[in-house]
Amino acid sequence: MAAEFKTAQPVEYYKQFLKEEVRPDGRELGEIRSTILNVGSISTAHGSALVKLGNTTVVCGIKGEFASPTVEEPKKGYLVPNVDLPPLCSAQFKPGPPSIQAQVTSQLVADTLLSSNLLNYEDLCIKEGNMVWVLYCDMMCLDYDGNIIDACLIALLAALRNVRLPVVTIDEDTGLAELSSTEDRSLNIVNQFAATTFSVFDDSILLVDPTVEEEDLATGLMTVIVTQDGRLCNIHKPGGTPLSTDQIQDCIGRAQTRAKEICSLIDDTLDSIER
Amino acid sequence: MTSNPENNSSVEIRPIGSLQSCISKPDGSAVFTQGDTSVMAAVYGPGDVKPNKALMDKATVTVTYKPKIGISGVREKALERMIRNTCETVLLTTLFPRSSVDIIVQEIQDAGALLACSINAACLAMINAGIPMKCTVAASCCMMGKDEELIMDPTKEQTKDAECVLTSAIDSSAHSLIASSMQGSCSVEQYHKLMSVCQKACDKVFEFYREAMERTLSKP
Amino acid sequence: MAASMDDFEPRVVLPGDSLMGHIPGELHGKMTLGPGLRQDETKIFSTKAGILKRKNPHTFWIDCHQKRYVPAKGDKVLGVVTQKAGDVFRVDIGGQSQAILSYLAFEGATKRNRPNVQVGDVVYAKLLVANRDMEPELVCIDSSGRSQGLGVVGSDGFMFRCTLGLVRRLLLKDCPMLKFLGEKISYEIAIGMNGRIWVRAKSIHTTIAVVTALTNCEFMSEDDMKKMLRKLVAAGFHDSRPKPN
Repeated sequence: MAAEFKTAQPVEYYKQFLKEEVRPDGRELGEIRSTILNVGSISTAHGSALVKLGNTTVVCGIKGEFASPTVEEPKKGYLVPNVDLPPLCSAQFKPGPPSIQAQVTSQLVADTLLSSNLLNYEDLCIKEGNMVWVLYCDMMCLDYDGNIIDACLIALLAALRNVRLPVVTIDEDTGLAELSSTEDRSLNIVNQFAATTFSVFDDSILLVDPTVEEEDLATGLMTVIVTQDGRLCNIHKPGGTPLSTDQIQDCIGRAQTRAKEICSLIDDTLDSIER
Repeated sequence: MTSNPENNSSVEIRPIGSLQSCISKPDGSAVFTQGDTSVMAAVYGPGDVKPNKALMDKATVTVTYKPKIGISGVREKALERMIRNTCETVLLTTLFPRSSVDIIVQEIQDAGALLACSINAACLAMINAGIPMKCTVAASCCMMGKDEELIMDPTKEQTKDAECVLTSAIDSSAHSLIASSMQGSCSVEQYHKLMSVCQKACDKVFEFYREAMERTLSKP
Repeated sequence: MAASMDDFEPRVVLPGDSLMGHIPGELHGKMTLGPGLRQDETKIFSTKAGILKRKNPHTFWIDCHQKRYVPAKGDKVLGVVTQKAGDVFRVDIGGQSQAILSYLAFEGATKRNRPNVQVGDVVYAKLLVANRDMEPELVCIDSSGRSQGLGVVGSDGFMFRCTLGLVRRLLLKDCPMLKFLGEKISYEIAIGMNGRIWVRAKSIHTTIAVVTALTNCEFMSEDDMKKMLRKLVAAGFHDSRPKPN
């Protein structure tokens, strides 16, 4: 009975729950799903992390390679993020070139990396003007249950903190680079970030951390990205129901709380594997 | 561009200009210029849609963004998504189920505030086409430089040294935020200051829409 | 800030403008809203950019320049037959989907006596059904079964597209253009509300002259129209011109 009602009139179905201030999966309107984090599971990558945000699962692998730096920035290495939403994770993605959702999310991740001053790119320099590290960050979604942006950014941050790059020495005579097989170093992450996504239901109610059903019914979406010290990195609102300043301020507050939670979760996870 | 030394902010936007019905084939077209930044938008609609893309209860809105040079890439897809969702919010899409509204945006010149100019051009093109809308939308760009200096509608040169650049789109009826995108970072108080500067700039764009329509419609 | 009954001036409005301030207070509750206006609970707002006009005492609408036709019930339109399918013709009227014209909707048509309509013919028909949820339906007869000028139009005329504004202008009661043209040139004309006009005159040259005159006259004043007509007559486009061999 409930299943038929949900298929025929999904909006009404949701409204019945929201009248009682609860969502179909039992959460309150402002409650975020449980986040599980696992780092270092991919041994062939220089850094990796797996995140489960409720059912949404994203794995991030980071591989470092040598590259020539750009002419404008001869002392800086760079990061190349890519978000992949394969047909595996959801029926809405068909095989073929990257879907629009994947491209938009990749662009947002790239912009966030630039805006947040995550690390000092000059640390990635091996030889000025000649050789730098380029880090390919691949985020692949294994299970798409909404809120892909938050999950990707958590996975990316955890993987970057997990990265161990071998120390490189340049042989003076041949000019070739040699990787040390014993020594490695981690990246110097100066500023961490975390995202919180909100969906607007029926032009009025704000829900935090939407599932894929809530995203499909949403009349608007907004992602607030905040750095660890409380600074705003991005308010990404691609159209949708207009929001007032008070609502936005409320969202920023929640995002700041969430950023602290995420950073301490990542800290705890990394500490636990070092023990 | 003048700046007000008292409160260290610039509340002048660059000269705005527009041209309507500039191309004959589309149902609506407009060119929108802010200073040296210029964008052309064309709208076809409400028109035919392929059955597999048709939505049963509202019109399908698609946006194609063409950069001046090179082919469309991931960055253009993100701009398309932003413009598309903004336009869909203000169009009365429920009046045209199983039909399509196609918006094509062509970058003519980028001298800063490109996303804002594109959204304004798309809005003016939709008004020109006569597609029913709930309200109009105006977008503006504002940046915060070193020393917390706020500059409205910055040029590309100025944004190179910015701490934070905010583009936001406001609707004309409730003056709430429809779309927003930021580069760089800022504190929450600085964000609110940037937002209020953007609001003022958007109000100027709304006034401009009114003047432009009065000029166009006053011809007999 | 409600205006009084008499001092209502046509004014330019943008989409989203609330109309409560422009419309006299005593009329609230018994207004007729025409194209371009919409009611949302207690608010009335405009959905298009144009000039807000009023016809006494209660009717308000918005005049706007628009090129794309949206089918409306009761409009007489010119369409092109694109397909014969079963018992109906499919006609392209320039809207978002094709319209349906039944075989039986012609004067004197019965199941045995089918009308002589081919794919590619131009028909002048009236919209019987036109709403957003259904395909538009056309008929070539009125409620009493007479054709009243509707039906297939001649293949020796010329159909051209124009803006919806020009069509509305030509259909005004005292449109000067059609009268001026008629003084010097004899011609037949069918004006479709969907931005299509069909013209037939005695020769091809005259037909094209009429078409050019109509396309150019949308924004002209009466004097300009007279000047243009004099030029046409001087160039030889009037009825007493001998037919070329």
